[in-house]
Amino acid sequence: MGDITAPDLSLAALAPLLFVFGAACVGVLVEAFGPRGNRQPVQLAVALVGTLGGLVSVLLLAGRGEVTAGGALAVDGAALFLQAVIAGLGALSILLFAERALDPARSAFVTSAAVPVGSPRDREQAMSPRVQTEVYPLATFAIGGMMLFAASNDLLIMFVALEVLSLPLYLISGMARRRRLLSQEAAVKYFLLGAFASGFFLYGLALVYGATGSIRLSDVRAYAAVGGADVLLVLGLALLVVGLMFKASVAPFHTWTPDVYQGAPTPVTAFMAACTKVAAFAAVLRLLYVAFGTSEWTWRPLVYGIAIVSMVVGAVLGLTQTDLKRMLAYSSIAHAGFLLVGVIALGAGSDGGGSGLSSTMFYLLAYGLTTLGAFAVLTLVRDGDGEATHLSQWAGLAQRSPLTAAIMGIFLLALAGIPLTSGFTGKFAVFRAAIEDGAWPLVLVAVLASAVAAFFYVRVIVLMYFSAPAEEGPTVGVPGLPTTIALAVTVTATLVLGVAPGPVLDLAQRAAIFVG
Amino acid sequence: MIVLLLLHLGAALVAPALARWWGRQVFLPLALVPAAGFAWSMTRLPTVLDGGEVRETVPWVPTLDLAVVLRLDALGLTFAALVTGVGALVLLYCARYVEAGDPGTGRFAAQMTAFAGSMLGLVLADDVYLLYVFWELTTVFSFLLIGGSGARVAGRRAAGQALVLTTAGGLAMLAGLVVLARTSGSTLLSEIVSDPGEGRLVVVGTLLVLVGALTKSAMVPFHFWLPAAMQAPTPVSAYLHAAAMVKAGVYLVARLAPGLADVPGWRPTVLGLGLLTMLVGGYRALRQNDLKLLLAFGTVSQLGFLMVLVGGGGAELGKAGLAMVLAHGLFKSTLFLSVGVVDHAAGTRDLRRLSGLGRRLPVLAGAAVLAAASMAGLPPLLGFVGKEAAFTALLEGGVPDRAAALAVLAGLVLGSVLTVAYTVRFVWGAFARTPEPPDLPEQAPAELEHRPGPLFLAAPTVLALVGLAAGPLSPLLDPLLARYAEELPLYAPETEKLALWHGLQPALALSAVTLLGGAALFAVRGRVSRAQRRLKSPLSANAGYWNLLQALDRLAVLVTGTTQRGSLPAYLGTILATVLAIPGVVLVTRVEWPGQWRAWDSPIQAVVAVAVLAAAATAVRLRQRLAAALVVGITGYGLAVLFVLQGAPDLALTQFLIESITLVAFVLVLRKLPLSIVERHNRIEKVGRTVVAVGAGLFMGLASAAALSARTAAPVSEEYPALAYEVGEGENVVNVTLVDIRAWDTFGEISVLVVAATGVASLVFLRRRTGALARARGAAGGDAVRARRAPRGRWLSAGGTLQPQRRSVVLEVVTRLLFHTVVVFSVFLLFSGHNSPGGGFAGGLVAGLALVLRYFAGGRYELAEAAPVDPGVLLGLGLLLAGGTGAVGLALGGQVLETAVFEATVPVLGDVKLVTALFFDIGVYLVVVGLVLDVLRSLGAELDRQEEENDPIEAAPDEVILR
Repeated sequence: MGDITAPDLSLAALAPLLFVFGAACVGVLVEAFGPRGNRQPVQLAVALVGTLGGLVSVLLLAGRGEVTAGGALAVDGAALFLQAVIAGLGALSILLFAERALDPARSAFVTSAAVPVGSPRDREQAMSPRVQTEVYPLATFAIGGMMLFAASNDLLIMFVALEVLSLPLYLISGMARRRRLLSQEAAVKYFLLGAFASGFFLYGLALVYGATGSIRLSDVRAYAAVGGADVLLVLGLALLVVGLMFKASVAPFHTWTPDVYQGAPTPVTAFMAACTKVAAFAAVLRLLYVAFGTSEWTWRPLVYGIAIVSMVVGAVLGLTQTDLKRMLAYSSIAHAGFLLVGVIALGAGSDGGGSGLSSTMFYLLAYGLTTLGAFAVLTLVRDGDGEATHLSQWAGLAQRSPLTAAIMGIFLLALAGIPLTSGFTGKFAVFRAAIEDGAWPLVLVAVLASAVAAFFYVRVIVLMYFSAPAEEGPTVGVPGLPTTIALAVTVTATLVLGVAPGPVLDLAQRAAIFVG
Repeated sequence: MIVLLLLHLGAALVAPALARWWGRQVFLPLALVPAAGFAWSMTRLPTVLDGGEVRETVPWVPTLDLAVVLRLDALGLTFAALVTGVGALVLLYCARYVEAGDPGTGRFAAQMTAFAGSMLGLVLADDVYLLYVFWELTTVFSFLLIGGSGARVAGRRAAGQALVLTTAGGLAMLAGLVVLARTSGSTLLSEIVSDPGEGRLVVVGTLLVLVGALTKSAMVPFHFWLPAAMQAPTPVSAYLHAAAMVKAGVYLVARLAPGLADVPGWRPTVLGLGLLTMLVGGYRALRQNDLKLLLAFGTVSQLGFLMVLVGGGGAELGKAGLAMVLAHGLFKSTLFLSVGVVDHAAGTRDLRRLSGLGRRLPVLAGAAVLAAASMAGLPPLLGFVGKEAAFTALLEGGVPDRAAALAVLAGLVLGSVLTVAYTVRFVWGAFARTPEPPDLPEQAPAELEHRPGPLFLAAPTVLALVGLAAGPLSPLLDPLLARYAEELPLYAPETEKLALWHGLQPALALSAVTLLGGAALFAVRGRVSRAQRRLKSPLSANAGYWNLLQALDRLAVLVTGTTQRGSLPAYLGTILATVLAIPGVVLVTRVEWPGQWRAWDSPIQAVVAVAVLAAAATAVRLRQRLAAALVVGITGYGLAVLFVLQGAPDLALTQFLIESITLVAFVLVLRKLPLSIVERHNRIEKVGRTVVAVGAGLFMGLASAAALSARTAAPVSEEYPALAYEVGEGENVVNVTLVDIRAWDTFGEISVLVVAATGVASLVFLRRRTGALARARGAAGGDAVRARRAPRGRWLSAGGTLQPQRRSVVLEVVTRLLFHTVVVFSVFLLFSGHNSPGGGFAGGLVAGLALVLRYFAGGRYELAEAAPVDPGVLLGLGLLLAGGTGAVGLALGGQVLETAVFEATVPVLGDVKLVTALFFDIGVYLVVVGLVLDVLRSLGAELDRQEEENDPIEAAPDEVILR
């Protein structure tokens, strides 16, 4: 029996992960032992210190490129860029979680999620002023899992990260304070389908290991380059892709997305839409690029096809939605397709020659910020029953609250990809990369899908500005500091990345390096 | 140039604030902004005439090769002068058009100014992406200006329609520009034009760009948005939909024609659609009664004309085209502005109700008649010069194909006849005294509502006079237009200068024909309109658009309805179907199948397999949940039998036990659910599901077979027996693997078990980890009454607490007899596991089953009597023990979890071999017992308690996911 040698751990390179996971563990301890009275500020502080600490330590690591932890983790430009994105978006999401001014019950989260809906105890807790704080460590764990996902250099670590990020998400989607049955339905669906997807990932992992004898991405790459790709490897890859595309809510693995986005508490939806997407694509990029970069023919047709399906499904089905949260869910599916256009453009080889990687990374950043902001705006518009997400309730919003309507308008224009917003820059970058790679038919589809999708974004703007306000319509809440900060950051970023995206694009381009 | 654009931006930003102080006078200073642009472009005229150009480059996003590159050449200058000149005058006009005190003034002023800036940017941009940005900006401002305050439904619809069409076209154009930038290797328009590259891609890119240009310039079949957009205020119509924005398409075609006119498909598209548009627009204009709509269709028609001219790709035609662009900009904005004045003054735009305005508004009528004459092509106006030049060019060639040139010429002459006819109708309708008694209830008011002031009339008058002056002075225009025409190939034998009088030429005759024909058409207008009414086409592009949108909507609803109903099986089915479609196809098409297949090792396997398959099929058919769960259990037991047949008793034992415990958990949960499964699916759904399910099963089976046959390396497990015996000192390979060889894994797994048990418990026990131990003694008092008629002998300590009808003496007796035996057996399994089937896991499960028996026989109090410990303690203890063993291994100098062996001879027991792995196994045993206990206490006892204490749950029934 061989001796188990301790892997070399570069603590510096792991610092971002340690920060976030450390904060999550501290959060658990606070939850267990902290006094109930001031748990909320303490938990918020811990979570913010963790995520922002993670962000700062990522920024300090910038420019590094090494493989550590016995080859299981790759701390390289792409990983650091995406980790920074995840940590930053995560911190903003946590701010949304912490909002207490909007809901009369002071939180979007139910005090005790396990209480059966409609039981006397449920009515009792609906009255109670207690605020649930478990969501902070859970979300921090999920953020940690996502950051690990982005840096995982071996399939097993990738799987572990997938589970670490998924399990808390399943849980917190079921924690809505209002419309609890919807929320629980969402959580159950997400969990069941997610479990299936994880199963596929695991099976694919096993097949890849069976074919190549290794779970290290670089070994898989070496094997695929030398031995060609035998059927087990291709089959394994296909199953891995199924698992990852599920998380990225790419059609046809998207079916859970609208239901879960609608059912989950809106801050959680924002978190999922922004961070999960980034993390899932980080893993997709790494898997396809590092492990299968030399055998592009194995995945290119597959990704090509699902990119088209995803764009078309997202754009066309988005048209019929009457609920804003569902509409944004379909938008997220369509954007997943646009992102895949960038993935297609990875270009042959891993020398960083193609601009697909950097443009996809930029797109992720831009999309994450915009969609997070859009969901944050949704939390502001409320009626007596909680958030008013039906389209008809948004009619004439500009007259009730010009500022809210303007902010939402900016986000929607960015999602539609109108120039001078980050959405245009991102779309432009990925389309351009794809054309350079010769995938112009795909870009054509993408452009058409953008046109269709633009229709439903603009429809909301038209509704907000040009319709008479509904009688007894919703009110626009005045957000507290956390949501205000989140909105300010996302709006500013959306505009800045549209008007002067140069520095960030350069950064993405410099960071677009995989080691492994 | 960038300063000019920033000036527009700044003006637009401050306009709302200024409007609050100055009211509608704000338009006067705002008009200075485009006027400055006009003045600047005039100062650059000498440079451009010398063949130079003005160029400015400001990097925007270097990484993406996005830069603000502005360039002013002859074409740019022509358009820039038109856009800024007309823009300044229209803003001036707005100062009187807008009602004083209108609250929307600030917004309107800002949008107009911003639009003027975007339009200027559009004609100056040299970078294709910058062009696209300005292109979309004009679309957005047009949308805002058409929609106005959004108070009217028609305005909103029209605004949305224009936006959708032009945005879609714009995106197609973007795609085309990207393709062209790729083929030519540059993003600069000037360089694309000089070297567009070659190949199929150029054609694709060119056609895509043309789609953008055609939608923007309202060519058939996209022409319908323009008349609908007449919902906008008149200055907007005059500026956006006559002089500026709709010219963007013409501009783009003119810009690209020097480089791309010879691309296959260009001329058929541009010339064909241009001609068609000219004819359709003219024909429809004849039918309109609303002056503004008449002009709108007239604009459509004229845009078609311009498109033909600039798109022909010849020097002569191009020059004529530019002259016509200027002429059209001048006369059409005059006409629109005049209509605005008429509307303002008379309160109506219906030409059947207007009468005799010409005498009451002589200045206006004069300007309008001048402009109309230019539109009809009467000398000496600029419209005549342009049209003459066009006819000449086509007569002498104009396009490479001579026959095509004549065909185009014929179309243009016909179109011009229509133009003359509707022009006359316009003038007659708006200003003449109409003798026919209008059959409308309401006449135009005899007195004017407002008398237009001089400022109001200034813009149309100036524009009309410029059009008049430009005719005779057209030789002065020639150098500028010729600069542009130089870039184009000359198809006519020689270049001809623009001039009013070229002598008696065939073109002059054609002009005469158009004028006479038009006049004749007007003369028989009664018959024409009756014929038009009869011929009313059932095909309408507008209706087509709405039908298309509706169809798209309906398709989306249909797809949503069938795929996104919130049904979990449907969602899962989608994922599985995709798995079948992609990896499945890979599997079937590419896999190397095993060389030989062996159906079974012994026939008993076949029997078991048949039983398992039958059970699976039955499970699908059964309606009762419990029965279905039991039948599913059979598949598990069948698997265990297969293990036995393969010679793996230990695995089989574990599998049996696991299956039993799972069943128990199932039963505990299922008793809370409705008894039977309600089947709501139709045949097709059932068939679909069956196909997907069978397919997924086959896929997994085949994939396993393929994976097995693809093995090349030796399995790791081959070393296990030897390792187990030599290192682990045990004969039961499975057990030694669990507790020694792969002890780390086992440790991880039992940790997961602890977490899972805790999770289950905490979902049911809300406040504490587990409920208080409800012992029988405490409950006995209350239950004594109920227990009175129960059997007298107490076989179980808490049996009396159950209601009599739920008690079963047989079960109680059996339990009493078996319980201790089973527990002892479980301990035996635990200890014997190292060398023979058993082990901590199996032992724990057996002990768990014993507890299950107690619970089922005696109820929740009995469970508390049987195991008066907190499951948490068991779980924690087990984990501690297992972890401690690892530490001991370390302490003894080995590695973590390494087994140490002690042998001794003990008096009674004989030779005893103690392996430290045993303690690890005891830990596993405790964890498993703890898990079972937790499940029983939470899903069993606690749910019983909730039921007894009647915790009602009222779910809100109307809460469903909106789809």
